[in-house]
Amino acid sequence: MGARLAGTGLGVARLLFQAAGIVVLVFFLCRVVPGDAVDRMTLEGGLTLAQEAALRAEMGLDRSLPVQFVDWAGGALHGDFGTSLRYHRPVSDMLATALPSTLKLAGFSFLVGIGLAIGLAVAAAMSGSRWLAGLVNFVNVWSIALPTFCVGVIAILIFSIWLGWLPVIGGLLMPVLILGMDNAGQIGKPLFEELREATTSAHVRTAHAKGLGPVRVALFHLLPTALPVALAMSGLVLAGLVAGTLTMEILFGLPGLGSLMLNAIHGRDYPVVQAAITVAAVGLVLINALMDIVHRAVDPRLSR
Amino acid sequence: MTAPLLQVRNLTVRAGETEILRGLSFDLHAGRTLALIGESGSGKSMTGLSLLGLLPRGVAYGDGCAISFDGAPLPLRDERGMRAFRGRRIGVVFQDPMACLNPFMRVGTQIGEALRRTGVRSAAARRRHIADLLCEVELPDPAISARYPHEISGGQQQRVMIAMALACAPDLLIADEPTSALDGTIAAEIVRLLATLQSRHGTAMLFITHDLSVAGALAHDIAVMNHGEIVETGSAETVLSRPEHPYSRRLVEARKALVGMPGHPTVRGAACRAVARDLSVDYPAKGLFGRPVRAVHEADLVLHEGRTLGILGQSGSGKSTLAAALCGLRAPATGSVRLLDETLTPSEPRLSRAQRRSVQFVFQNPYGALNPRLTVRRLLEEPLALAGAGGEAPAKIEAALEEVGLEPALAARYPHQLSGGQRQRVCIARALLCDPKILVCDEVVSALDMTVQLQILQLLKRLQAEHGFAMAFIGHDIEVVRWIADEIVVMHAGRLVDRFEVADLQAPQRHQQTRLLLSSVPPRAA
Repeated sequence: MGARLAGTGLGVARLLFQAAGIVVLVFFLCRVVPGDAVDRMTLEGGLTLAQEAALRAEMGLDRSLPVQFVDWAGGALHGDFGTSLRYHRPVSDMLATALPSTLKLAGFSFLVGIGLAIGLAVAAAMSGSRWLAGLVNFVNVWSIALPTFCVGVIAILIFSIWLGWLPVIGGLLMPVLILGMDNAGQIGKPLFEELREATTSAHVRTAHAKGLGPVRVALFHLLPTALPVALAMSGLVLAGLVAGTLTMEILFGLPGLGSLMLNAIHGRDYPVVQAAITVAAVGLVLINALMDIVHRAVDPRLSR
Repeated sequence: MTAPLLQVRNLTVRAGETEILRGLSFDLHAGRTLALIGESGSGKSMTGLSLLGLLPRGVAYGDGCAISFDGAPLPLRDERGMRAFRGRRIGVVFQDPMACLNPFMRVGTQIGEALRRTGVRSAAARRRHIADLLCEVELPDPAISARYPHEISGGQQQRVMIAMALACAPDLLIADEPTSALDGTIAAEIVRLLATLQSRHGTAMLFITHDLSVAGALAHDIAVMNHGEIVETGSAETVLSRPEHPYSRRLVEARKALVGMPGHPTVRGAACRAVARDLSVDYPAKGLFGRPVRAVHEADLVLHEGRTLGILGQSGSGKSTLAAALCGLRAPATGSVRLLDETLTPSEPRLSRAQRRSVQFVFQNPYGALNPRLTVRRLLEEPLALAGAGGEAPAKIEAALEEVGLEPALAARYPHQLSGGQRQRVCIARALLCDPKILVCDEVVSALDMTVQLQILQLLKRLQAEHGFAMAFIGHDIEVVRWIADEIVVMHAGRLVDRFEVADLQAPQRHQQTRLLLSSVPPRAA
């Protein structure tokens, strides 16, 4: 029990360390990019040097980097990400409106992806059908070879402009299906390979020898074997969704973290960029931790 | 006599053009045991699977095979039809229970799955049945059913497999090498359990094995398989004592030769090659707060020139670790090893490079011990090049190959083009090229077929007589070890519990662990 607690403590410490590293990195990376929010405004509106200096002082951009960092990080720890330099709204509010939309898009795409992947991989592995195995490969090559923004543009051309079935702006169906297909390709292939190997494994043969039906064999004996692979791939896919949702949001004009981040980067709106990336990064760290926990929970050999 | 329960006629199984099973025919009556014996690759496991309709993908039944079960033909090509027999009337126990049990499921649940097939629906009734079944396979502790497969021992796992097969009270039990992944003493218990259960329930049993002594102890009838054919069928006594087919004769004689022992010349005053005093060996700690694990406790040993020390024990008893420490591959934790002309201690654990060549190893799995990308010639050149004798290599390699009984032409082949016995001979040749003073053989024959085992043992014995090296022979099979060794030490849980000259093996003062290992040798039918 003591060892278990110590292990959990170590795990939590590691997570905190990772998150802190990301926060530091994001802050300084933002500052490495030439030009700040005021330069950007000068470019757009033509400010005088005096006005620039005044603005910088007002935004606190004239202070040294470590001071700015401590100020920002201290606020972020309390959930206060500061105020947008361009829109003069609290960043937390902006995040609160953007996040649900992104989560919805990512969540649905992930569900579509994993459902499609598991269904295809199990059917292909159990049936031994060459046609289904080919389909698994096709989806895999599709997801590697065709970037989602490219598929997105073509889909808009076909379904919105030529056929007029779906709206170009704001519809969730097309981006969810496009991202889902992309995810299914990444998860489906390794899952299928793992399952195909498992169909010839001794314990699956034993299950057949017990006379169990194909559904029971698939659900209770075959699928658990492939779980570690499915979980590992899911972790990667979820990480990929950060970038995936960004392109989809921009392409389909959806409000969300991606659109928010892109605008903020263009405007050198540091607090918004930092907040958005921090939220995404901490989310990823949490997802990875969650995958580890789920893996431990479902694989009895890992729990001590 | 009544009609046989299982009647196999002209069973042919092919993968593409190759015939894996060629026209097998045999009968099995209720309450009888038929042992199917043969060496690896003879098709005996495939026979078991074909009776269940569980042929691997790409393998199909040939035309004209007919298997009748309890008077009616088995619907071999109909998956759904066969499912009605599996787990209801035909039960099966495979080898390697660790791999056969689902690692994600508690063992009780796995037995419950089998029970559900026989119509035990309610959870409470299933629990009761599971407890009964576990008692029947002599696992009386009900807590076992809540464990996962990796939490119980190999013997317990195989008992769970048997309980699973018994759940449906089958008419036919197929046991496919059920003991080959288990230690000697545990294997003997499993064989005894299967015999008891079979006579209690009157089940017919098809027992697939490569081990003649197990077959002799258990079976009423024996069918000998070779290259997908049954070459001889008969009662166990007849086949084992008066085998007719030349192949069965070779099998039986290989085992008999192990029992008839060669002479053990007692060499008095032979030079000591290695002496261990109070030798303990630790495995390093795992993790930050782990403690080192002591694998060997205060062992005293001597290896003499020209003599063989047998190190006998079950798996995990520390015998390989002891041998590795004795030869300077592992640092001693306490005590010392006097090896050749050097003394190894915890503070100075390493043998000098020149001396290291004088200690050579041959391992259990010859395929793993040979680099698959090198030809035999390149493999054998390596030790010569390291000794700076690369110039005379071709002649030396040819001589070494001849010495271990291999054609010099084999030097151009890769390991995967050789048989298991040939590979092990290459490993021995490689060790010989270093001109060893000590040869350590770690379970060198346990991965090999019976007939090949004897040839390798004879080879080692002859080479020792010619070269005079001291040999440490590690094994778990008491018959093999006593055949080759002059003196035997028995290890149990990291300690040397017994030590004796081979001639005193049966003496009354033997340790109980030794007697346990002895008793695991099944009584010989012949």
